[in-house]
Amino acid sequence: MQELLYKKFSSKMYGVCLRYSGNADDANDLLQEGFIKVFKNLLKFRGDGSFEGWMRRIFVNTSIEHFRKKVKLYNVTEVQENTIEDTDLNILDTLAEKDLIILVNELSPGYKTVFNMHVIEGYSHKEIADILGITEGTSKSQLARAKGVLKKSLEKMINKAGNNTINT
Amino acid sequence: MQKFKEKLYNYEAEPPFEIWQNIAKELDGGDNKLASRRGFRKGSKLVFYGFTAAASLIIIFAVSVFFDASKTDPGTASNLLNQSQNILPKQIQDSLNLNNKILKEIINSAKDKNLLALNYEMSSRYGKKYLTVAGPECQPVKISPKVATLIESTDNEYPPKPVWNKKIEKWQQIMLGSTLSPTSTNLLDVVQLSATLDNNE
Repeated sequence: MQELLYKKFSSKMYGVCLRYSGNADDANDLLQEGFIKVFKNLLKFRGDGSFEGWMRRIFVNTSIEHFRKKVKLYNVTEVQENTIEDTDLNILDTLAEKDLIILVNELSPGYKTVFNMHVIEGYSHKEIADILGITEGTSKSQLARAKGVLKKSLEKMINKAGNNTINT
Repeated sequence: MQKFKEKLYNYEAEPPFEIWQNIAKELDGGDNKLASRRGFRKGSKLVFYGFTAAASLIIIFAVSVFFDASKTDPGTASNLLNQSQNILPKQIQDSLNLNNKILKEIINSAKDKNLLALNYEMSSRYGKKYLTVAGPECQPVKISPKVATLIESTDNEYPPKPVWNKKIEKWQQIMLGSTLSPTSTNLLDVVQLSATLDNNE
């Protein structure tokens, strides 16, 4: 039963862990810790929502808990008003998920955590602030910085791709 | 941002095979730990019940021995207390009877009271230097034969002797002029003081 659950959900949950951890070693630890929590708390699943959603929350919380111990988030000045939305987003269609993961993992742990929680998981800034023990302003500023860094990375990719096109 | 979400929300990657082995091992170990903890709890419960039963038996045994002994043993504390309560008044009563007897002898004697008292003090017939009389609260108070005579002479039942009346009057004057007040502990000193004053005269 446990092995079946693992086989069914491990690859998805490993994706979550990779997004938050930034490296395979930490992701392996998170996956292991997360599944043990899932198996030990199976009886607590009340069937209110989807099982996958419940399991995903456990993995996100495990990841957040893991990095909360390591990372201290500082409030930074709001910067880069023109963020990813202003950038040519067509390149995103051409990029594989694996490349996007690499882009996200280039972010510093603080930016990455807020970016993952807000953009990917859909947490509000208030929820992020409560979970991470920071202010909403800090959460917003971290996200803004994360978007700025991603924009620069994407622009580099666009330029690189443009140059390659011109060269060819 | 939506494109990020679309692409990354369901991102999947194959985890290394050994992770499942680690999880399975940890789950087995956890079960063993749980089992051992349960065993420990069960064991500790048995030890607790055992100790409780042993303590109860000891208490029951001790209580039964105590009550049994109190029934059969005449030398227990309560019996001794009863005995002492019976004996003590008897001793006091004997002492008082003896004192009364001596007082009557002294008072009814035709001889000089001082002489009689002196004789009594000197004699070893009773083996006692002081008399024991009942105090105001029926407590035993030791007094000298002289004082006994003095006390008795103030009683109207016996005709007061002029010599004793003078002594008492003087003593009263001394006491009125003094901050000393006679108590059961200093009465003898007061009398002694009175005698000294008489001698000085």
